[in-house]
Amino acid sequence: MPGQENRSIFTSERIGLLIALAILSAVPLFIKDRAIVELIILANIYAVYVASWDILCGYTGQVNFGHALFVGGGAYAAALLNFYFKTPPWVTIFIGGGIAAIFGLIIGTPCLRLRGPYFALATFAAAAVPYGLTDVYWEITGGLDGLYGISPIWPTLAGRYYFSLLLTALCCGLIYAGGRSNKGLILKSIREDEIGAMASGINTTRYKLVTFIVSGFFAGVAGAFYSHNQLHVGPETLSINLSILVIIMSVVGGIGTITGPICGAYLLTIFNEMLREWEELRLLIYTATVVLMLIFVPKGIVPALSEGISQLFKKRKGG
Amino acid sequence: MEVILEVQELTKYFGGLAAVRNVSFVLRQGEMLGIIGPNGAGKTTLFNLLTGFLKPNGGKIIFRGENIVGLKPWTIVNQGLARTFQIVRPFHQLTGLENVVISCLSPRGAERAKKGAEEKAWKLLKSVGLAGKERMLAKDLPHGDLKRLELARALATDPELLLLDEPFAGLGLQEIYSLSPLIQRLSQEGHSIIIIEHKLRELMKLVKRVMTLHFGEKIADGTPDELSRDQRVVEAYLGKGGRTFANV
Repeated sequence: MPGQENRSIFTSERIGLLIALAILSAVPLFIKDRAIVELIILANIYAVYVASWDILCGYTGQVNFGHALFVGGGAYAAALLNFYFKTPPWVTIFIGGGIAAIFGLIIGTPCLRLRGPYFALATFAAAAVPYGLTDVYWEITGGLDGLYGISPIWPTLAGRYYFSLLLTALCCGLIYAGGRSNKGLILKSIREDEIGAMASGINTTRYKLVTFIVSGFFAGVAGAFYSHNQLHVGPETLSINLSILVIIMSVVGGIGTITGPICGAYLLTIFNEMLREWEELRLLIYTATVVLMLIFVPKGIVPALSEGISQLFKKRKGG
Repeated sequence: MEVILEVQELTKYFGGLAAVRNVSFVLRQGEMLGIIGPNGAGKTTLFNLLTGFLKPNGGKIIFRGENIVGLKPWTIVNQGLARTFQIVRPFHQLTGLENVVISCLSPRGAERAKKGAEEKAWKLLKSVGLAGKERMLAKDLPHGDLKRLELARALATDPELLLLDEPFAGLGLQEIYSLSPLIQRLSQEGHSIIIIEHKLRELMKLVKRVMTLHFGEKIADGTPDELSRDQRVVEAYLGKGGRTFANV
């Protein structure tokens, strides 16, 4: 039977993921600088943002330019519930995910009738509306300043770190498993040729819509966690900047692989922080690096690396 | 024999142009029907109507006793009517095996587990002559193999009626000679088949009945022999004054 080769690639990928998880688990034990631990918490959250973007966009080929809608939806839902009704964080995180999933359903239904740039523009526009609403209903949302005084999810930094890691491992693990399952394969067929997938008996509309909802749920969970981590929610969680950042991280890492975007999230978050030393040149270096990556590694870091490794193995086997 | 497909007065307009006009025909279980006609005659449009990719402006398509007009393409596939495309539509970045596994995972393909789907897909790839190429990405397969892959993908949905849109297009004679018996075998196995084909000589060897479309209308329906003597068919292909069909 065929498929053995693919399985061995998956196995080595999984080993890589476990090593990454082990390194991340050790962070608070060896790094005493609070700022770095906070930074990696942020990278953990970004990892969920990009993984949830990739399962929709990288797998089905529908490029969502408004992912911040889900992140911000979850962040605001959790923050408002906690701020006004004192709902505990472990509940608001799930409600935040649920609200974002409903956003996925509401926005996905009309948007999925569109194709290519029209779809991208519609998702872009859909995310702009709630961003404006935060300012219109400033008495409730705190306007441009946002709301301060959201409860922390855990009182200590180490606790907060491990909670973020657990959440990331769970969310990314589930998304990864979904991507590697039969359903993930079907999603890829939609990306490759939607008409071909329909002719194979696949209800492409249903698959795309469910993926929209799933993508929304995980982004919402991460957004809700973000509110409790920052003890604050503001309109930056709904901004186009965030939507674009998610796309950049995914493309640099390698879209359609789940592991690629996650890798992109960690690398770019850390890289951006390292550039603080050259504050005045920061944006220039960051942008130039991303552009160079897109030119020289257009497939993304992870696919390029795995291709390189598999060619190396082939050469060894051959010679 | 039992009627599997009955098309009644099927009509499709694109703007003011009738791409298919009042086309009616009946296909019986196990029958193999050829459809010919010059470019722009409405052959592929007819397939797109039958498979739900286009909605007709009028007429009925009765498949196994049920009018399937207005149903979504995947619903029609899952009722047992599958197709291939004139210009192949493989999933380029997926392997040959995965291309077929997708169809096996469809409701009619009826495989739930990956292992079962892979085994079924592998058997189908072998049966269409693609054994040994299941791990290659579709983008790396030559055109002839992609035509076979399309066929395997359609067969994986366990169709009762198979619509083949120019299966020989772009193939060399050797490839046609190896694909033709495969289609013959599918017919013998009990599949009802409709084939659109421009390569008339090869088509006529394969089918016992041919329908001719011209400017969206059915102008003839009969045995290959009858058609080659039909003046309207000869004129549709060769223009007025055309006398013989033998060398087309």
